[in-house]
Amino acid sequence: MAMKTDGIYCDGEGRLDRSAPISRRAALTAGAAGLAWWMTSRAWAQASFQTEEAHDNVLVVIFLRGGADGLNVVIPTGEDEYYRQRPTLAIKRKDGLALDDFYVLHPALKPIQSLFESGELAAVQAAGSQDQTRSHFEAMAAMEKGLADTTEADAGGWLARHILATPGRNTPLRAVALSSTMPDSLMGALSALAVPSMADHRLRVESKAMKERLKQLYSRGDDAISQAGRDTLQVLEALNRTDPASYRPENGAQYPETPYGQALRETAFLIKGGFGLETACLDMGIWDTHVAQGAVDGWMAGMLGELAQGIQALMKDLGAEGKRTTVLVQTEFGRRIDENSGFGTDHGRASFMFLAGGGVKGGKVYGDWPGMRPEDLEGPGDLRVTTDYRSVLAEILAKRLASPDAAAIFPGFRGGPLGILQAG
Amino acid sequence: MKLTRRQALAAAAGAGVAGAGCARLERLALAPRGSLEPLKETRTRDAAFLAKFGFGARPGELAAGPDRAAWLQEQLQAPAADEGLLALKLSRMEIHQFSAFELRDMPVDRLHQQLHQAVLLRAIHSPWQLRERMVDFWTNHFNINARKGLGAHRKPRDEKEVIRAHALGSFPEMLMASAKSTAMLLFLDQQNSTAAQPNENYARELFELHSLGVDGGYTQEDVMEAARCFTGWSEERGFLRPRGSFKFFEALHDNGPKKVLGEEIPGGLGVEAGERVVRLAAKHPSTARHIARKLTKFLLGTEDEAAWRPVEKAYLETEGNISAMVRAVAEGFEAGLDQPSLKRPLDFVVSAVRALDGSSDGGAALQDPLRQMGQPLYEWPMPDGYPDGAEAWTGSLLARWNFCDLLTRGAIQGTMVDIDAFEKRCEGRMETVILGAPLGAEATQPILEAVQGLEPAERAALTLASPEFQWR
Repeated sequence: MAMKTDGIYCDGEGRLDRSAPISRRAALTAGAAGLAWWMTSRAWAQASFQTEEAHDNVLVVIFLRGGADGLNVVIPTGEDEYYRQRPTLAIKRKDGLALDDFYVLHPALKPIQSLFESGELAAVQAAGSQDQTRSHFEAMAAMEKGLADTTEADAGGWLARHILATPGRNTPLRAVALSSTMPDSLMGALSALAVPSMADHRLRVESKAMKERLKQLYSRGDDAISQAGRDTLQVLEALNRTDPASYRPENGAQYPETPYGQALRETAFLIKGGFGLETACLDMGIWDTHVAQGAVDGWMAGMLGELAQGIQALMKDLGAEGKRTTVLVQTEFGRRIDENSGFGTDHGRASFMFLAGGGVKGGKVYGDWPGMRPEDLEGPGDLRVTTDYRSVLAEILAKRLASPDAAAIFPGFRGGPLGILQAG
Repeated sequence: MKLTRRQALAAAAGAGVAGAGCARLERLALAPRGSLEPLKETRTRDAAFLAKFGFGARPGELAAGPDRAAWLQEQLQAPAADEGLLALKLSRMEIHQFSAFELRDMPVDRLHQQLHQAVLLRAIHSPWQLRERMVDFWTNHFNINARKGLGAHRKPRDEKEVIRAHALGSFPEMLMASAKSTAMLLFLDQQNSTAAQPNENYARELFELHSLGVDGGYTQEDVMEAARCFTGWSEERGFLRPRGSFKFFEALHDNGPKKVLGEEIPGGLGVEAGERVVRLAAKHPSTARHIARKLTKFLLGTEDEAAWRPVEKAYLETEGNISAMVRAVAEGFEAGLDQPSLKRPLDFVVSAVRALDGSSDGGAALQDPLRQMGQPLYEWPMPDGYPDGAEAWTGSLLARWNFCDLLTRGAIQGTMVDIDAFEKRCEGRMETVILGAPLGAEATQPILEAVQGLEPAERAALTLASPEFQWR
């Protein structure tokens, strides 16, 4: 398989080395509890599935792995402390793309500036979970499971819970993760599929008899693998009808020539091909910029450019289908407000989110600015979370994915919506 | 507010579910794990044992009916070096001949291929299966993404002097070796950590992943103080210096007093400050528990407290002797506490070659399927290692099936299986032999029905592709 994302790493001696890592991780914690939940939910979902009228909206989740530095994405140029704490990393107002009197976008995000201006892109600043560990794994697990933090009971992924709780399209391609392993957000979902590339998703067995016998072999059994085998065979049949490799983007869309660009392209293929896709999960990163983060240019700027080019290409390619497609960009946490000796930043707390496409009330930065004076910060000098990330997720489920009771997907969450989306 | 597991499940399922559904959900959720696993009885205990404590039996091993206790005792005394043809093949690789500094001009892809090849060669051919299995455990426990920076040049030494040297030895010693491994220090950005601005990355993962575990009772304050202790831990640098070897830079070190995990670390200790942190972490009771639980889950597939408590005890009594812990894990197996766990792609590929009594050079043609299954070795980007749960790997099935077809058709260059000869040796019960199932076992019936009337190669491929063979 192709690794999901290109990253640039510092080799520790000042040189930048372009290498080809990766995708994601799955929880260390998906143990007995996760499996019991998984088995249970399957049994229940099978029992309660019913065909109801189904919306045809799509959610595309782009998860920025490694903790993206929200302060250098949606940049608080009206905050003096920002410039005091980041002598080399700060972006000047004149270098950014103005969003309002207070915020600018990082200049590398130029490809999506027009989406903001046309009201199809919204940003949330200072969003996050309540996770205090500042551990990638804990923070990602919390977010992908829709929890305040991982001390809460683990009941599978938030998208998995939505899928199980919302009867709708029961297709083998309802939920797809374009990565080699299943992300936590889909852990426990009926028929969720994780594949590095749809185009490579082919059974290459030569003997025809073997293909048939494979079906027979997997026709029984309740274990995770037997069930996954049946799902896999069903997907292969669906894909037999069209070929993802021959898909050509429309409207002059130019995806980045990276695994992330490829994943977006295949997402467009799935959306337009009428496979019944409801949720696609993509990874991008490594955003763990402890060293040589860069400012207007550099490592992070390069990744932001790729991120933006991909979103722009997807929306272009989708054309009218973009109206039913909502893109969510999220990351597990932001980074410390002050830069470190390696011209990078350490793990912090609040970061940003983007919403683009169908139903988005864009052209606006949502969320209260927590401030960056010492008394505004939490922990070792981190931006305070003012918007619980789940208020955005719950609003997506309620307004876009026909969830009958989105609040129930997030046990323990008591917040309200931001009003960042309109229903439809 | 904290929810109990039961409340969370009920709440999560609340949307659109009738009361009856909830009751059913709860009842099932509280059923002990394992009751829903239908695969437990498919293998003999010997086959299950060799699949869990090694990469799976070769056919002959099971026929001999191994004495499990004797096997374990022998495996725990594995000689330090590889032997025979395997040793010869390994010694020809540059990664085993040269230091990180001498490897500096080698292309990264070639280094990766050799690293990969060494793992496959040993796992398939080494008689010391337990050690190779433990090497896989520690390689992931102390995961390093060799695609980051100059990781590929430094990882061979880490593999030899950290992972392999201590795989069945002393955990505290392995932890210290890892802390001074430049592959690890570079992977976790330690070389940029200075007194003025310490970098927390290594210190955090040391506590969270390598030792105490995320619930191990350390605080953010401990991470920051430990990071101060490790300032100056770096590697040789500068023109013609033997880069890749550990070096402590006094000038970058924060020589002030610190407090880590409740212990005062006086100022002026230099490199010893960091060494004290490593020792504190190694002897912390949370570390004993964390390692015991993880190792038990890895080898036995269970999180049952009855299985890991004795392993924790072994750690505490022997100051982290890994062989003692493995012995305690094996007692859990003999007590029947084990559960089926899914083979990761490496496990699956190696066990398939071994099950057919095949051989391989471990080269690119065998590495490629691993990549397609999502486990290119040494490339997991996060410090936590490849995931261990079945759910994470359900997407790899298609690639597994394609591999079975290639393997049994002899279409993987450098990997040889002689299906016809193998089938003859099996005397008409090839499928049963591959699965390690008891003679006439009911569980193998569906497989026998599915392969009826096919050619031997197709029958072998389907047996390897079956759900049963994916579990260990």
